[in-house]
Amino acid sequence: MELVIQNILTGISLGSILLLIALGLAIIYGSMGVINMAHGEFAMLGAYGAWSLNHFFGLGTLASLVFIFFGVALLGLIVERSVIRYLYNRPLDTILATWGIGIMLQQTVRLLAGGELRYVEMPPLLTGTINLFGVSVSGYRVFIFLFVVALFAMTWLLMYRTKFGTKLRAVVQNRDIAMCFGINADRIYGLTFAYGAGLAGLAGALIAPLKSVSPEMGTTYVIDAFFVVVLGGVQSLFGTAASALLLGEMTAWLGFYWNDTIAKAVVLLVIIVLIRFRPQGLFSFKVRS
Amino acid sequence: MKQKKIFGLSRRTAIQILVYGGACAALFALPLFVGNDFLLNRYSRYLVLGMVAMALSLSWGHAGILNLGQGLSFGLGSYCMAMALKLRTVPVHTGSDGLPDFMVWNNVEHLPWFWQPFHSMTFTLLAGIFIPVLLAAFIGWFMFKGRVTGVFVAIITLATLVVANLLIIDQQPFTGGFNGITDLAQFKMFGIEFDAYSKSTYYLVAACLTICLFSCLALTKSKAGLILQAIRDEEDRVRFFGYDVAAYKSLAFCVSAAVAGIAGMLYTIVMEFASPTFLGVPLSLSIVIWCAVGGRKSLLGATIGAIVVVGMQGALSESALFLNTWTLIMGAVFVLVVLFLPNGLAGLVEIFQRRIAKKDG
Repeated sequence: MELVIQNILTGISLGSILLLIALGLAIIYGSMGVINMAHGEFAMLGAYGAWSLNHFFGLGTLASLVFIFFGVALLGLIVERSVIRYLYNRPLDTILATWGIGIMLQQTVRLLAGGELRYVEMPPLLTGTINLFGVSVSGYRVFIFLFVVALFAMTWLLMYRTKFGTKLRAVVQNRDIAMCFGINADRIYGLTFAYGAGLAGLAGALIAPLKSVSPEMGTTYVIDAFFVVVLGGVQSLFGTAASALLLGEMTAWLGFYWNDTIAKAVVLLVIIVLIRFRPQGLFSFKVRS
Repeated sequence: MKQKKIFGLSRRTAIQILVYGGACAALFALPLFVGNDFLLNRYSRYLVLGMVAMALSLSWGHAGILNLGQGLSFGLGSYCMAMALKLRTVPVHTGSDGLPDFMVWNNVEHLPWFWQPFHSMTFTLLAGIFIPVLLAAFIGWFMFKGRVTGVFVAIITLATLVVANLLIIDQQPFTGGFNGITDLAQFKMFGIEFDAYSKSTYYLVAACLTICLFSCLALTKSKAGLILQAIRDEEDRVRFFGYDVAAYKSLAFCVSAAVAGIAGMLYTIVMEFASPTFLGVPLSLSIVIWCAVGGRKSLLGATIGAIVVVGMQGALSESALFLNTWTLIMGAVFVLVVLFLPNGLAGLVEIFQRRIAKKDG
């Protein structure tokens, strides 16, 4: 019984990390159709932000989150205004352009901060373990889970309960008509991209204490996050959350019975089969083209 | 207006054949001016990578299948050749009947069954082509029968690539794991030994590239090639005409895999090792970039794109001035090409042609 709970909790923890990274990507891909390969690099920048704010200014991880969010969001805005906005009618080309941006960011960081691994300390408050259902869990992982839930709720509110979200959804549904009603579509897209990038920055900063920080760290994340988003269904926030949880649980259970590599391979095979039979995503119910 | 025909070919095709032929002739003439074996080895490497980019151009530029896992076919071809060449070495540490050294280190006692046939070079050459082709046929049938298109094709091919990469790294006793397969014998064929650092290997690569380039050109000029282009531009309409879209797409996907498989085998011969990085995501994304820079809709353009980009990388990373900034420059070049030259360098040629045509007319 304890093992079962242990595995379920591991899965939830893995899933919450996946969702943390995928959330920003889901918003950008879901609303703008842009496949942002630089998403992993935005996360990497967040991680370096946490490291440098801590290293040079002595700021704790939690305190630096605000700076990181706005810093990476600003960068996202610049990227959107200077490159992405010319590619809205060529979605597949965004893969190439954002990948180019990604390697530029990687190299810039390598030049500025060096290529060696960096380590970010966990907030001292959260280093302990918490006893949950008779299983001890790392406090930091519980914190990440709660943080993701809060972030998810905030994003949902932003999308469905604010004027900005209404405008964004209007632009997504029909850009021209929305513009006829006086919505500044360019501005909405720019801010959405910035928000997605900012979320990536937060994700990187929060993951930094769990893993080592390196200029290449983003590549693996972006691919995993991308699978989560596509599997969950484009334009469905709850779908993204559900698929992140599903993939987290699958990785945890398969990793328990086999090894981590085989678990990852099997999860990917499952994703391939699912995408083949439900390209609209597992959890999207309205299909309109 | 009636088009002039040259040997039964349209003027455009005739010019294309001339340009392709000229480019290939230039490749064969190159060793006359380069005496340095080290440089020749490097140029052979560029040509092999050009071949992979050409393979991608066939599926992406001509059939609209964005394959983010081109490295899968490439890597499988490379591993086939590496397995055969490994069995031909005289290892320092040998188990029973010439067991490869990494197997000895991993306590494997007998040569596994799937290594056995690689004692035969004929089998190896066939395997290097047909294992990627069969796999591509399966994946293609799986995707295209289900009418999977666009981004989802990209995702599925990418996921397959990652799976293969994970499995190869995981199965260390049989594949050499992270280190790949190293310390290989030299490739021998028709009594010629192909030393990686020699003219013979360069000519081998150039010959394979020429043959593949012209075969693929012939395919794109055939009726099937036309239908593939139609599928790329308007898939549903072609389906309404009664064509089996899935079959045609699978065909392009398989031919592309075959060329990539051949390129993979050559890559092992040139590099003298096989490594899981050949099936890594970064390489496959790079292939897409080369193809985009050269021009995805032109086979020769994609080939040249790869050669130029990889060559530039090589040159820039060596000069002290650009040692640290060349990646930055390459990234910027990619972004600019995507923004301003959606059809790559080959598109530039077309723009000039149109300018000249305007002046004439």
